[in-house]
Amino acid sequence: MKNFIFLFLAIGLFTGLQGCKDKTEPSGGVDLKATFMATYNGTQLEKNKDYTFGTFPLLFLRYRMYLSDITLIKEDDTEVKISDVEYLDFTPDSSPSDLSVTPEITYKNVPEGNYKGIRMGIGVNAANNAKKPSDFPADSPLSIETDYWPGWASYIFMIIDGKADPDNDGTKNLSFSYHCGSDMVYQEFTINQAINVTSSGANLNIEFDLLKLLTQEDGSLYDMANYPVTSNDVNNFKVALEVISGVERAITIDQ
Amino acid sequence: MSVLVKFGNRITLPLVTLGLMTFLGACKMDMPPGGSDPGDLENISYDPHPYTIIKPDHFPPVPIPPDNPMTMEGVQLGRMLFYDPILSADSSMSCSSCHLPQGSFTDNLAVSIGIDGIAGRRSSMSLLNVAYATNGLFWDGRSPNLEDQAMRPVEDPIELHNIWPNVIVKLKVHDTYPEMFRKAFGIPDRDSISKELAVKAIAQFERILISSGTSKFDQYQQGDLDVFDDEELDGKLMFFDEGEPLNLPDAQCFHCHGGLTLTGNQYFNNGLDSVGNLSEFPDKGRFDFTGNPNDQGKFRAPTLRNIAISAPYMHDGRFATLHDAVAQYADNGFGVINEDIFIGQMGFPIGNGQYTGLNNYQIGAIVKFLHTLTDTTFVNNPDIQNPFK
Repeated sequence: MKNFIFLFLAIGLFTGLQGCKDKTEPSGGVDLKATFMATYNGTQLEKNKDYTFGTFPLLFLRYRMYLSDITLIKEDDTEVKISDVEYLDFTPDSSPSDLSVTPEITYKNVPEGNYKGIRMGIGVNAANNAKKPSDFPADSPLSIETDYWPGWASYIFMIIDGKADPDNDGTKNLSFSYHCGSDMVYQEFTINQAINVTSSGANLNIEFDLLKLLTQEDGSLYDMANYPVTSNDVNNFKVALEVISGVERAITIDQ
Repeated sequence: MSVLVKFGNRITLPLVTLGLMTFLGACKMDMPPGGSDPGDLENISYDPHPYTIIKPDHFPPVPIPPDNPMTMEGVQLGRMLFYDPILSADSSMSCSSCHLPQGSFTDNLAVSIGIDGIAGRRSSMSLLNVAYATNGLFWDGRSPNLEDQAMRPVEDPIELHNIWPNVIVKLKVHDTYPEMFRKAFGIPDRDSISKELAVKAIAQFERILISSGTSKFDQYQQGDLDVFDDEELDGKLMFFDEGEPLNLPDAQCFHCHGGLTLTGNQYFNNGLDSVGNLSEFPDKGRFDFTGNPNDQGKFRAPTLRNIAISAPYMHDGRFATLHDAVAQYADNGFGVINEDIFIGQMGFPIGNGQYTGLNNYQIGAIVKFLHTLTDTTFVNNPDIQNPFK
């Protein structure tokens, strides 16, 4: 009899704990492989290559960013968080080629099912952004010191660097550097996209198009000539906000 | 044995045995010196003790490769090998000949000189905090890790100009090293001494070359805000692009020399040479390794910690003083197409992508700030000095 009472208590405790959970934790599921790609106007991004930006040429040197809290959303609105933080460096200088790299990340134990969307943050969420690189182990993407700026006491969420020739004089003498950071510019959004995770897993292709990123909501191109850099003034986030908000328009997910 | 039995008497057997030993002994003369009996080190205990790297609390964890864990015995062996000229062909130079503690593990020469008196083409890089360099070593990044890096100078004809088989022979017959290799790596015999183990030991020693965390800059970082005078503080604010509220210009330094180690270990054309075509760079830098034309003239950004005691500056040692080096940057480069974008952004923006550059006060303030990075506790640390002195 004592054994039965203990069993009922254990079941009750277990059920109660499950009921307290807001999110479904991945366990016992399948692999979801995500392939990330940077593009410009639909073609894979290449460093040092001339592209056309409206009326003038430009080239890109660096494109990297953090993603946080990547979460799949089921049709019944329950959520499955598959990643706390990712660091995507599409143009690492460890790569001998100018062609951007396509990081592949496999998320384990993703529950099978039909999902209606995916949510992610562009940057580092406030909890992690309150820490410093030295707070993290060497293999953590948050241990990268060069992508942390003490002036903001923040990680640099996204970096887009390059050179442009807005006056078309044949010299790319305008350097643009969009370095977006601090909690004020952290962006979180949901992409509505059917994602079917079957017993054999799933593959996602997640693309970030820099032309779309630098195209504003009204369809006009970002005013790079007048706003080529983000401000270091901790009270001036105008350019950083405008640029990082373009990521939502730049992202395409295919399965 | 059956042949010996045929002789059938007690005198013949020792004679034949002696002859056989003599014959084998004669043969042994033709074997590489240092040949050993299997298991000849097994009577020496193998009980390695884990080595805990001492680092400042505010420094990130030190990355250690899983196939070369740090041990007291490994570090001790590595320190000996680092300072021992046994690695060079004529036993005249060691790793430390170009990486001296008092120069923050540089040789304070524009370019290093090898055993034959031939000058190399690049300056020796500081080894301070080299354990954190996980994006390639040497100025061009051709070596992926410390173990690989330590392998190379031994056989470089303008450095130690030796060959590893010669080094290994010397180590095998040495009075001390076989026992040290046994204690560090548990090898059973002298014949198991290898270049792979030698460089693992050297790499272990190099991984303990970590800042003490006692420089003026570190004191400031730890909250002692009064440690800087006004000029040093101005320099710091410009270095980290934090001076805007005080009407100080951006010097953009931290983009390439960021983080606590003051290097991102990345590769840049830092605007030293005016060339019409990238192929005209006198030293192609990273291109020599990657083959990417856009990498011509790019070099790894070195750490700026202890920069004031590691003159001269740049990959070819072209600048004798810190002032000269900073003044070069203050002019905003030459506009070469693969110059890093921040080379052209020193000073205040004046429109159309142009910047004012830095004035003499600003250059001087940055130089004063760079002096706050000097860490004499590190260079005087007895654990990293030459053990043969």
